[in-house]
Amino acid sequence: MDAGLLEQMLLGALLGLSVYLPLRCGQLSLATPGFFAIGGTVAALLSTRLPALAGSGSTYPITSVLLEMALAALLTGVLALGLGRVVLRLRGIYLAIATIALVEILRVVTLNLEFTGGALGIFGIPQPFDSAAGYAAFTLALLALICWLCDRLEKTRPGRAMAAIRDDELAAASQGINTADTKLLAFVLSALVAGITGVVAAHFLNSWNAKLGNFDASITTLAFVVFGGSRTWLGPVFGGLLLTALPELLRPVGDLRLIVFGAVILVGPLFFPQGVITPELFKTLKRIMLRPPTPAAQGGKP
Amino acid sequence: MSLLQVEDVGVRFGGLQALQGVDLEVQQGEIFGLLGPNGAGKTTLFNVISGLTAASCGRVRWRGASLAGLSSHRIARLGIARTFQNLRLFNSLSCLDNVLVGMHQHGRQPPLAALLQTQAFRRRETQLHQQAQELLALFQLEAAAHQNAASLSYGDRRRLEMARALASRPQLLLLDEPAAGMNPAEKDELRELIRRIRDQFKLTVLIIEHHVPLMLGLCDRLAVLNFGQCIALGSPDQVRRDPAVIEAYLGGGA
Repeated sequence: MDAGLLEQMLLGALLGLSVYLPLRCGQLSLATPGFFAIGGTVAALLSTRLPALAGSGSTYPITSVLLEMALAALLTGVLALGLGRVVLRLRGIYLAIATIALVEILRVVTLNLEFTGGALGIFGIPQPFDSAAGYAAFTLALLALICWLCDRLEKTRPGRAMAAIRDDELAAASQGINTADTKLLAFVLSALVAGITGVVAAHFLNSWNAKLGNFDASITTLAFVVFGGSRTWLGPVFGGLLLTALPELLRPVGDLRLIVFGAVILVGPLFFPQGVITPELFKTLKRIMLRPPTPAAQGGKP
Repeated sequence: MSLLQVEDVGVRFGGLQALQGVDLEVQQGEIFGLLGPNGAGKTTLFNVISGLTAASCGRVRWRGASLAGLSSHRIARLGIARTFQNLRLFNSLSCLDNVLVGMHQHGRQPPLAALLQTQAFRRRETQLHQQAQELLALFQLEAAAHQNAASLSYGDRRRLEMARALASRPQLLLLDEPAAGMNPAEKDELRELIRRIRDQFKLTVLIIEHHVPLMLGLCDRLAVLNFGQCIALGSPDQVRRDPAVIEAYLGGGA
C-alpha cells in the first residue's frame, strides 16, 4: 500500500473521531468539515504568508507545524465554545441542520474572501516532510495520541456522563450532570480534533481551497461513524480507515467502484445497526478467546 | 424548619390546570405519601420539585431557600434524587455504570490524574466501584452488575432506578410509583426495603403510589390530590376516614 493512501486513511480516522465525540453524547453534529476547513486555512495562510515560520532548512520545520496546530486548536476551540452555547440548544436533526448551515457559511465566506484565495485557494503550502511516509508516521502518532485521550475519556467520569446523556438526557440531568456543559465539552473536543487534522491535511495536500470543507465531507465523515460504530473510539477509527481506503482499493473495477462503495455504506447499517465495532463484539471475542480448548482441538487420541 | 415546603404551587399547561394552590410541608426523616387518581397531578408535583417543570405560581423551598429557577442538575446536587414512573434508566450502560452515573457529583477527580491514571485516581475509582457494588447488593442486583440495564426484568429495573437514585447520597428521595407492576409479595418486600433504606441512609422519602394498602402501611403522613388540588392531608388514619377522599375514590353517591 502506498504511503499517500495510508496518510489519507489516517486523516479519515481522525475526522471520524471528530464526528464521533459529539455523537457519543447523543449530539448529531455535522460541523466537522467546517472546523477542518478552518484548521486547513490557518495552516495555509500562516505557512505561505509568514516567512518567519519557514526556518532555514530545506524542509518546513515541524515546530512551525505544531505552532499552526496550536493556533488552529485555539481558534476552532474558541469558535466552538461560542457557537456550541447557541446551537447545542437544538436537538436531533435540527442540530444537524444548523451545523450543516455553519459548514456552508464557512465555505461561502472562504470562497469570497480575498486573502483566502477565493475559488482557486492557496497554493504551494510548504512541506515539512520529504515523503508521504513522513506524513503517515506523524499522523499515526497524532491519531494514537487522540485515541489514547478518547480511551481515557470513555473510561472516566465525563465519558460516563456523555453516555448517560446519549441514553436519556433528562434522567442524566436528574443525576446532577450538567448536560449543557458536558455536550459543550464534546462539541469543543470535536472541533479541536477537526482543526488540528485540517493543519496536517493542508500541508499534505500542498494546496487548500473552499471545496475541502463542504457538505459532501459532512456526509462522508458521518458515514465513517455510522459504519464503524459510535460506542467506542475504535468504531470511527475503523470506519474512517476502511471507507477512505475502499474507493481507492476498488479502482481496478472502474466505475463500478462507486456502486460497490454505496452498497457497503448501505449494507453496513443494515447488518450492523450499531456499527461494526460494538461492546458486544468485544464480549463475543473475549468469550471465544477464553473458551477452554475442545478435545478435538487438542489433537484427537484414538 | 421543614425540609421541603411546597407553597401555593400551581402549574398550568395551556388550558389545563394540572396543579392548583398545593401547600404541603415534608419533615426531615418522614415517609410522606402522595395519593390520588390518575391525572391528579402527582407526577407534575414531582416534576416541579425536581426542576423538570416550572411552577406557574407559588414556590418550592428546600431548607427554607427557594428552588425557583434552578435547573434539574442543580437541584439534584442539593440532595434531591428521584425515580421515574416510566423508568428512565441508561439502557445501553451496565447496571454498575448506571449506579456510577448516579454518583456523578461525588466522583470528581482532577483531569490530569484521570489521564495519567495516578495511584490516587485508581484508588478513588476502586472505592467508587465498591460503593456501587454495595448499593447493587442492597437491591439484590450484584449478580447483574455487568449486564446491560435494558436486559433486566421489570422489577429489577425498578430496583436499579432506586439504587441509582441513592447513589447520589440524597437527603430527599422522590419515588414515583415504585411498586407499579409488582406482585403482592414483591410489594411487601418493597415496603420493608423503603423503610430500611430510610433508616440506613437517614433519608426523607416522598412517594407516589396507587396501591392504597401499601401506602397506608408505609407512610407517616399522606396527602391526597384530586384534579390538581390537595383535598386531604394527615396521618393514614385521618386520610382513610376523610369524606373528601372517599368521594374522590368511590364517587359522589357512595
